[in-house]
Amino acid sequence: MAKFSPVIGRYVTIDVDGCEYKVFYLRNGQGQPLVCQHTAGCHNHQWRGLLEDPEITKNYDVIAYDLARHGKSDPPLNKEWWKEEYTLTADHYIKFITTFCDALELDRPIFMGSSFGGNVALHLALHHADRFKAVIPVEAAENSPGFYLDLWRHPHVNAAQVCASGTWDLMAPQSPDMDRWLTWHYYTQGSEVFKGDLYFYSIDHDLRGKLGDIDTKKCPVVMMTGTYDFLTPPEATEATARQIPGGIYIEMEDIGHFPMSENYPLFAVYLKEALRIIEERT
Amino acid sequence: MVMSVRDWSIRFSEASDRDQTIGAMSRYFTCTYLWDMGPVKVIVEMIDGKVYRINTEPQPLDAYDFALRASPATWREFARPIPAPMYHGIWAASFRRDLKIEGNTLALMQNLRNFTVQFELLRKVGVPV
Repeated sequence: MAKFSPVIGRYVTIDVDGCEYKVFYLRNGQGQPLVCQHTAGCHNHQWRGLLEDPEITKNYDVIAYDLARHGKSDPPLNKEWWKEEYTLTADHYIKFITTFCDALELDRPIFMGSSFGGNVALHLALHHADRFKAVIPVEAAENSPGFYLDLWRHPHVNAAQVCASGTWDLMAPQSPDMDRWLTWHYYTQGSEVFKGDLYFYSIDHDLRGKLGDIDTKKCPVVMMTGTYDFLTPPEATEATARQIPGGIYIEMEDIGHFPMSENYPLFAVYLKEALRIIEERT
Repeated sequence: MVMSVRDWSIRFSEASDRDQTIGAMSRYFTCTYLWDMGPVKVIVEMIDGKVYRINTEPQPLDAYDFALRASPATWREFARPIPAPMYHGIWAASFRRDLKIEGNTLALMQNLRNFTVQFELLRKVGVPV
């Protein structure tokens, strides 16, 4: 008897700043939409555990998309994208997410992203509090300098291995070997876009001095960071959450920067608490 | 009691040469690096995935591609079976602790997969400081 997953994959075509993107997304569940953004240089398969968690999907419509140029979402189909260097800006990234949510006609989804997905979640709470029921920035902070490096796509290195092993330390040593190596495997697949993503992560993302403008009465913000995250360590996330009026910080013990893919069962414990808090406040 | 650097070099060589993860992609894993642990320094010479030589008494003009330098306390943290946060790898410790990565970092990146695996062998082998 074949073993089928309940997760369904589909494409939707959207226009963002004149770019025609055919976006691939995975979906499973019912109820409150929960839109999930993968980390830089990766793809939506990072959310595989969440997408198949019946305790979540019985009440949440989980949607995990591939950002343009990642996974099965191509670069813009109406542009000669290979003639310019890819650098993701905050403005384009925000527009991509809101346009994607509109295309799927989602009614006030909860947005959750990790790393550069967590950072953009803060931008969504700041600029689009009326469109999102809540945001869950995972492994995020008000700024995250230091990772926009030429070495990620230097022609004299094996970029796939450098991106995968250069992010290895972001995971906790306690996380299962299989899940850490699967995450490593995913990271070998996006090396050409990793640096361009990190333009947003380490350069264009800077919310210092702006966090006080986030209205958590409209859009609660629940931040979560693992104790083994060296890029946005727990103290950076906690300091960020404290500057957001009503912002909440949850520290995740013994897990790292890719919690959803490096150790989903542990991440799920914290995620369920975040969702409970959001239900209480909305 | 701290093991001697000579004993350490034998244990580390054996562990590295036996490691299946390194062995799965060992060809071209060729580089020479210095580990500066304060009172103890070693130069490890890798050729095609095998430890060719460990120089346990480096002299001023002995060559290497790149170096990792940190305090003895940090190296001892690296060697715990489950290191504490920020001591769990070279990136973490260089961003958040006293580890310095110097020299030709391009050579490090060219060998990063295997070097990372090899570095984590310290959790089994220990350190001579």
